[in-house]
Amino acid sequence: MTDVASVLPVAAVAIPAVAIPLIYVSRSNPTLREAWTFVAALVTFAVVATMVRSPVTHVSSLGSIAGIELSLRGDAAGLLFALLASTLWVVTSVYSVGYVRSLEEHGQTRYFAAFAGSIAATMGVALAANLLTLFVFYELLTLATYPLVVHAGTKAARAAGRTYIVYTLGGGVVAFAGVLLVAVLVGTLTFVPGGIAALAATDSALAQAAFVFLAVGFGVKAAVVPLYKWLPAAMVAPTPVSGLLHAVAVVKSGVFALSRTVLYVFGPEAMWDLGVGLPLAVFAAATMVIAGLVGLRQDNLKRGLAYSTISQLSYIVLGLAIATPLAVFGALLHVVAHAFMKITLFFVAGIVAVETGEKYVSDLAGVGRRLPVTMTVFAVAAAGLVGFPLVAGFVSKFTLVVGVAAGPAPVFVAAYLVAGLLKLLYFWPIVYAAFFGQRDGSTPASRHAFAPAHAGEEARTAGSGTAAKSRHAATDGGDVAHRLGQVGWERRTLSTETTSLMLVPILVTVGFAVVLGVVPSYLPFWDLAETVVWEVFG
Amino acid sequence: MSDLVMVFSSRVAYVAFALLVGIGVFVLVDSDNLLKKVVGLNLFQTGVFLFFITSAFRRDGSAPLLSGPGPVVNPLPHVLILTAIVVGVSVTAVALALLVRVYDEYETLDESEVKEAQQS
Amino acid sequence: MSVLLALVVTVPLVGAVLPLVVGRRTRLSRLLTGGILVVQVGLAVAVAAVVARRGPVSSVVGGLPSEVGIGLVADAVTSAFLLLVACTAVAFFAIVRTDSTRFGDSLWLLLVAGLSGVTVTADVFNLYVFLEISGLAAYALVATGRGAPAALAAFRYLLVGTVGATLYLLGVGYLYVATGTLSMAGLNAALSAIGYDSPLVIASFVLIAVGLGVKIALFPLHTWKPAAYATSPADVSALLATLVSTIAGYALVRLTFGVYTLGFLTDVPAARVGLLVAGAVSVVAGGVLTLRQTDIRRLLAYSSVLQFGLIVVAIGLATPAAVTGALVLLLSHAIAKGGLFASVGILAREFDVKTVADYTGLVRDAPLFTVAASVVFASLVGLPPTAGFAGKWYVALGAVAAESWTIAALVVGSTLLSILYVGRVVETMVFGTPTAGVLGRGGSETGGQSHVSTDGGQLHTQSLTRASLLLAAVGGVVVALGLWSSDLALWFQPVVEGWL
Repeated sequence: MTDVASVLPVAAVAIPAVAIPLIYVSRSNPTLREAWTFVAALVTFAVVATMVRSPVTHVSSLGSIAGIELSLRGDAAGLLFALLASTLWVVTSVYSVGYVRSLEEHGQTRYFAAFAGSIAATMGVALAANLLTLFVFYELLTLATYPLVVHAGTKAARAAGRTYIVYTLGGGVVAFAGVLLVAVLVGTLTFVPGGIAALAATDSALAQAAFVFLAVGFGVKAAVVPLYKWLPAAMVAPTPVSGLLHAVAVVKSGVFALSRTVLYVFGPEAMWDLGVGLPLAVFAAATMVIAGLVGLRQDNLKRGLAYSTISQLSYIVLGLAIATPLAVFGALLHVVAHAFMKITLFFVAGIVAVETGEKYVSDLAGVGRRLPVTMTVFAVAAAGLVGFPLVAGFVSKFTLVVGVAAGPAPVFVAAYLVAGLLKLLYFWPIVYAAFFGQRDGSTPASRHAFAPAHAGEEARTAGSGTAAKSRHAATDGGDVAHRLGQVGWERRTLSTETTSLMLVPILVTVGFAVVLGVVPSYLPFWDLAETVVWEVFG
Repeated sequence: MSDLVMVFSSRVAYVAFALLVGIGVFVLVDSDNLLKKVVGLNLFQTGVFLFFITSAFRRDGSAPLLSGPGPVVNPLPHVLILTAIVVGVSVTAVALALLVRVYDEYETLDESEVKEAQQS
Repeated sequence: MSVLLALVVTVPLVGAVLPLVVGRRTRLSRLLTGGILVVQVGLAVAVAAVVARRGPVSSVVGGLPSEVGIGLVADAVTSAFLLLVACTAVAFFAIVRTDSTRFGDSLWLLLVAGLSGVTVTADVFNLYVFLEISGLAAYALVATGRGAPAALAAFRYLLVGTVGATLYLLGVGYLYVATGTLSMAGLNAALSAIGYDSPLVIASFVLIAVGLGVKIALFPLHTWKPAAYATSPADVSALLATLVSTIAGYALVRLTFGVYTLGFLTDVPAARVGLLVAGAVSVVAGGVLTLRQTDIRRLLAYSSVLQFGLIVVAIGLATPAAVTGALVLLLSHAIAKGGLFASVGILAREFDVKTVADYTGLVRDAPLFTVAASVVFASLVGLPPTAGFAGKWYVALGAVAAESWTIAALVVGSTLLSILYVGRVVETMVFGTPTAGVLGRGGSETGGQSHVSTDGGQLHTQSLTRASLLLAAVGGVVVALGLWSSDLALWFQPVVEGWL
């Protein structure tokens, strides 16, 4: 592939950015405002798709900052991520409209504007041609997503926002130190497939320090233990935000930046020569298991999904740390597979919240009757995350396991197996209770197997909940239903269970997940991942 | 001991310089009266001016006139300090003008009393 | 061509008389002053153009030999700071200064003359004179604020400022005694001849650095700054915050590298350590003190203590990257801080909002202001792609290249300190729930305490728009400067390389 100067990479970043003022200007006309979002999403997708189809690599320069060129380059790895994010933005836009309108959210203009800003920054992260450009967009992404995290404006949301900003900007500072060290050590920050050769030849202590800084800095967004606390806290954000940003764009930016570091700055070999691959793998494996265990104890559905995300992200990080060709291939596939599956699950959680007001797993017994299609979709996506064949997760996970087994430390295969088992223990009771559970009004029929029941039940059994918890009980839609004596769920069908603005998106995403599971090479992600592996390992 | 006497007698201008600067800074820092602070500032500046003038000194030198006999003292520091004195006078004038305004408002020039008045 | 340099100083200096001559005709005074300031911008542009075409220019006023004449010199860096002085002066005069008085206009021009003089002079004694001219103008301008607190703040500023300038003068005296010359070029040669470790030379450096440190407002010499900036009128605080410390910082850079040179810092390691420690203390103390401020302008003033700490650290590092970073930081901080002081000052003047708490929920009334303020704050923090980031990047690069790990950690970590206070302000503005309307209602509640309330809401909206647009423009400039920071560094490169 030859490099060609082109405006396409800039366009991919600029189009979502241009949408921001347009969205703001048309704030008094919601239809026009959302039209801008759609147009921007579709055009961005088209631009990225053009680059994917094109036989050449598109490069564009944005000028330079502090002596280092800011440039964008649509190489295979970048396009993989850009295509993923832009595809899901289209889907999320549809879903968002349904979600914010159903809930009559406040500040919708700010919401859509910040969303577009986040996508622009994500495109920049994806297409950055060097470490500094990546860092610039990485920081911009933090700033653009902050308004979304604190969107609710409540005390809890502001506290979560503060946690978020401290973790991510703190991580940014550490990453900055890493970028700086690399710049001083080798004088270049441009990504080179297989690593910058000069870096392997420099002072190893400094190179190690640079790697640690970058891994810690980017590891914050990838939510590696012990830097994961911000992600569950950020679940106060509206559900589409949790779906696209906290399951795909933001966290994957962390993972993606980490993969750029491993594959394009240090190179797999140099990473193991420096002795930093193994510690990274240990942290990743620990994250998979710990987050899986903690996740079991979550009764709040979105928090549970957040812990699942933390665990799944480290599947990818572990693959990168082991860095055999097959493990890297699996890791890249899992970036895509997890994105489609997890966004589906978040969207389902959003539909459940919109339609029933329920947020806690223990209140969801029998919800399958009320939301048959939605919960079926949930079951399929969950199966994929656990690793059942014929859904996306199986292919990527299988590749990862095989790749890791062939690597320098096959023992890490065990981490995948344990984490997979934990996933099964988490998702199975939810799915089972949703379809086979009964709700009788006095106690939730299904306790989520391992989680302590949430406030509502506690208040009933202990007689006195804390102030905060009883407030929750009073506002919780489900409890209202309890008090009205409504037993069980009303039965609904496909056409009546929820608005098609929300149903269609989950059908699309789960469809992608199945296609990825059945004929993975049918989608361009497969070829792109293959190209990356070929580029890096020769 | 005799060394010290030597220093004092032969470098009397430097001693005066050090004393002026020291007294000036002391008054500036220690005095509670804002007007005395201005006096301290002037002493401090004068000390520095003296230091410059001293550096121009030349044994048996006369005034630097083109028609006069040599050797002459270095004229440059004199010129410089003439400028610096003008600057110093201007600063003092501005300082006094400001103090008039402060006094009009608080009816005192005592720093701690001004502070009290400001807080109430 | 060399007459240009003399004009840069004499035009505003002589022009400062005009507003006094025209008497009570305020409009005429304003027009004249504005005209002179525009001419000054033209002169600064001309100097930059000449420097770009022919390299550094120098001249001696009155055709005297360079040892005794008043020497002036301009290189690439000088012309950048000249432009900063001229553009800021005219911009704030036109946009922020609404109630011109002839004395105020005269002082405004005097300040410009003094600062331009400090920038272009090639002589350490004249630097003192210009420093005092700008100082006098600054003291008097602060005192144009209403009420006794402004007079008191001006008086304290005067005391501390004059002590600083006199210390500087004493340092110059030591230099003269040691070398017998006062021109920067002459000193440069003479100092290396007599040896850098002579006690006289070391003493002079300490005195000059401390003297300029007062003007720069390094901790613990910063005490004059918060009160002076918080009590003076909006236009004055904006002008002073942009220029006074910045030009003193530039003077320190020029004297350190143009007069004492790198050889001095190498031969006298204590001098370098002193700069580094003074800067580092300023960074930490400034960051901590900023967190405790409730008044928004005091907060901004304390944040300058942190920023200038970084700049002095960069001077102490004395690597090409670090010095470039110091210059970029000087410019970017000046622009960002000036814009913030100007717009915050307008809000304080028109709406009586002064504390951080007053800004609660401002985004509802002034979305553009809030967004622009966030961008400008981002530059102060040093987030990409702003100019603040570029400056910090260069300084950090210099620290790592010099293998000063503590300093590198300090520079990188200072970002966190800045995030803490900036985060507090931005969060308050965007997500705070105001108890009452922030703007608009402020005037009616206080019941005619300000002159605008009689004019109704229209003037309010106008000045809010004005503040917002100004801040937005400044935001645009800091981002543009960030994206062009490579070109800026390239423009400075010959000068920085000449120094090191």
